[in-house]
Amino acid sequence: MRNPLRSEDAMFRFLLWTLAVAVAIVAVVELIRALS
Amino acid sequence: MEAAAITHGHAADHEHHGPPPANRSSRVEPQLLGMLLFIISEVMVFGAFFTAYFFIRVVNGDQWFPVDGHSLPVAVAFVNTCILVSSSFTLHWAEHGVKTNNRFALKAGILSTFLLGLTFLFVQINEYVHIGFAPHDFAQASVFYGLTGLHGAHVAVGLTLLLMVVVRTWRGHYSPEEHRGVEVPGIYWHFVDVMWIVVFLSVYVL
Repeated sequence: MRNPLRSEDAMFRFLLWTLAVAVAIVAVVELIRALS
Repeated sequence: MEAAAITHGHAADHEHHGPPPANRSSRVEPQLLGMLLFIISEVMVFGAFFTAYFFIRVVNGDQWFPVDGHSLPVAVAFVNTCILVSSSFTLHWAEHGVKTNNRFALKAGILSTFLLGLTFLFVQINEYVHIGFAPHDFAQASVFYGLTGLHGAHVAVGLTLLLMVVVRTWRGHYSPEEHRGVEVPGIYWHFVDVMWIVVFLSVYVL
């Protein structure tokens, strides 16, 4: 991964990526909680 | 010939004022490099606070909220998260506006970013007022106030930077060729948003 701090545009895309990862983590955790 | 060289030398002396330019060992612009190093140090500060969080939840295995009948206002924090994340979108709009010489996008984008950030901070302070426990009540409360307070302090710093950008925008500064004054605070603001997503996830959701 290239440095996300090189420009505002790159950092904004990094934010979107973080958001997507966060949603995925919540989905997985909620799924595990529902199954257990 | 010698006289001409001396004259030329004197002319060169008159053209340059002040100390020689600083040596640059990096390909990154100094302003960006400064913000990059600052953000790396900020990640370490947040890391120290997250260490306390993981000690309570993972090492000690203590119960996270609700604790002693106190729970966290997850719905309010979720709305606040949406407010902060949308401020990154308006900031990106402003940055795109300055690059394409769209003054309306720059002005509307940067002002709405500032107002959304201010709203986030106001809601968080309001949350502290009504939450019903103090930092010294129990360890979980200390970590909660530590993490969210540290982030709130970063929002306050970001708002100060954004206020400067708002004032400079209204004074007619920035152009498609020179907009570093928007870009560098923009990187910081997105970083503050990224950190909030991590804090929100750890403290309120998981």
